[in-house]
Amino acid sequence: MKLNPGKMVTAPIRFAIGMISQTALNVATAFVQIWANKGRSILTTLGIIIAVSSTITVVAFVGGFGKLMTDMVQGYGTQFMVVRPYQWSSSQRGGMKRVRLDITDIEAVRTECPSIRRITPFVFTHNGEISLGNEIAEDVPVRGVTEHYQTIRNFHADVGRFFGPVDVDAAAQVMVLGRSVTKRLGADESIVGEHVYLDGNRFLVIGLLEKKGGNMGEDQDLTVMIPYTAAIKAYPNLRESIPFLAEASSPEATHQAAGEITRVLRTRHGLQPGQRDDFRIDRQDQAVKRFESVRNIASGILAGIVSISLIVGGIGIMNVMLVSVTERTREIGLRKSIGGRRRDIMLQFLTEAVVLCIIGGTIGVALGYSMTFIASLHPQMIEIEVPLWAVAAALVSSAGAGVVFGIIPAFKASILHPIEALRHE
Amino acid sequence: MIASSTKPGDALIELVDLEKIYRVGTELVHALRGVSVSIRENEYVAIMGPSGSGKSTMMNILGCLDVPTAGKYMLRGRDVSTLSQSRLARIRGRQIGFVFQTFELLPRTTALKNVELPLMYAQVSRKKQRAMTALQRVGLEDRATHRPNQLSGGQKQRVAIARALAQTPDIILADEPTGNLDSKTGEEIMAIFDSLHSEGQTIIIVTHEEEIAARCRRVIRLHDGRIATDNIVSRPKPATQYATVTAQ
Ligand SMILES: Nc1ncnc2c1ncn2[C@@H]1O[C@H](COP(=O)(O)OP(=O)(O)OP(=O)(O)O)[C@@H](O)[C@H]1O
Ligand SMILES: [Mg+2]
Repeated sequence: MKLNPGKMVTAPIRFAIGMISQTALNVATAFVQIWANKGRSILTTLGIIIAVSSTITVVAFVGGFGKLMTDMVQGYGTQFMVVRPYQWSSSQRGGMKRVRLDITDIEAVRTECPSIRRITPFVFTHNGEISLGNEIAEDVPVRGVTEHYQTIRNFHADVGRFFGPVDVDAAAQVMVLGRSVTKRLGADESIVGEHVYLDGNRFLVIGLLEKKGGNMGEDQDLTVMIPYTAAIKAYPNLRESIPFLAEASSPEATHQAAGEITRVLRTRHGLQPGQRDDFRIDRQDQAVKRFESVRNIASGILAGIVSISLIVGGIGIMNVMLVSVTERTREIGLRKSIGGRRRDIMLQFLTEAVVLCIIGGTIGVALGYSMTFIASLHPQMIEIEVPLWAVAAALVSSAGAGVVFGIIPAFKASILHPIEALRHE
Repeated sequence: MIASSTKPGDALIELVDLEKIYRVGTELVHALRGVSVSIRENEYVAIMGPSGSGKSTMMNILGCLDVPTAGKYMLRGRDVSTLSQSRLARIRGRQIGFVFQTFELLPRTTALKNVELPLMYAQVSRKKQRAMTALQRVGLEDRATHRPNQLSGGQKQRVAIARALAQTPDIILADEPTGNLDSKTGEEIMAIFDSLHSEGQTIIIVTHEEEIAARCRRVIRLHDGRIATDNIVSRPKPATQYATVTAQ
């Protein structure tokens, strides 16, 4: 009988310990080997590094923009829609008929569409001129709305007050200012109670809008709001072409509400079946859908690019592993001659390929993090963040590339004939 | 040291009409043409013969590194000429200790780790301790953390012998173990083999040198793939054998 110092330990446990220690040794051998060929190893993993770092960066950016879009959408609510006068095609009606949407249309929609909860006219001009004493703010977007606008678009006054139904009915010359306008006028909160001039009309400032910040390059605080009735008085030429914002009673009722609006407006505008609408309804839920489909396409393209670059990186790994197997033919012969089985040799080289890829992946993740960090330093950059799942996915897929592209060299090593391998020069 | 399930006197190795034919292109090279030999436990055998006579071929088959074209190889009563690759690997790892002319140590790996390697493949416990014991047997315990490029040729070969010993193999096969060493260093290596033999180890050495063969107990001479002579070298009383040899 052979001496068996380990006979106190049961076979399965010994097997498990053996497997773990063999794996540990394989990993250690891989590091020694990779370190011995530093330059070559780095060049080899470059493909993986680039694939992973660019993926991490792009995922962070896409995620950042996605979050931005989501925030924006949440700010509006999916039951929100904008209705504008719109001429789909001029040829159909000779191009001469004026497109109309006036306050009576809006009133009809309000009373005849049960699925609509809130509605506000939206008399808009983007280049109002506001003056306070000698200070003048030009090109200020002016919104003529009702008190419902606060809820629909989530704008609230945090100093003073927003105008109410009484102001709207009376066409009161009152105004709520965005903070950027206040700043342009060189004023502070004490401007509430003062009078300003909007394109020559005297308005009483009754409140300031809470700060909203920028959104997709647009300063949301650069705006003033007045009752739409006052806006029509100030800008009479807008009277016949008034868009409106509507909010359905629930997200599910949005489609229903759009149908009701269409029916009411077509009837009022005397459109025959077959004639196209002379207005256009932009629904937030559809915008969300469009955005989501764009994002899905972008993700698909991204996934494609990632897989292609991982394949390219993987081929680099395969190439260097084939070289390594050839260089170490004698070592393989020796390992076989002292008891290494095919699977032992296979595992060793597979481990090496995987370790190489994971090193590449880790460097790639670090690089991706640095790039997003540097990008986030830019003051006008949106908020970007590397999601943890992307890091995990990057590491798992680089390890996967190691397995896939390491398998051929490892197999080649494993089937070497021990004697021929030992004779290799 | 070496315990065995075979009774002393039973054949440890039994070769029956062993043939090995290599095919080089369309040509057939008969490296072994019917070799029959029986080797018992604790024999100390030298295999000699002119270059190309088939010594290495025979050793490779004995070491389960290669399989014969025809004939039978019984190791401890088991026919190993028909075993699968992984069975052969297992035998190489547990029953055979191979020592090569060119040492074949892994570079960038310490002596101790080199000796541990067969233990890793055999998945045995207490590898470090066993490897250390094997290094002590060859007198290199103080070189355990040295890498091959920090060792002399003789030291490298001693590490290789320790590696062969680590798994307490049935046979040690050494193909020209002193071929790359000067005669003094070769002498040191042979002293280790002598000592191992005196402790009960079965050893087969291929050599070109008569002095080395003279230290063995049996000399098999091959010629053109056949056994030409097979002589037992008679010795004085076994107890003094080792002393006699080292005193030379
Ligand atoms: N892989 C091989 N392919 C073809 N022929 C081979 C192969 N290995 C050995 N031979 C041939 O088999 C014969 C025996 O070779 P072997 O290596 O066993 O000789 P040897 O006795 O060890 O010689 P040396 O003393 O030079 O080492 C030689 O003629 C050799 O050319
Ligand atoms: Mg030879």
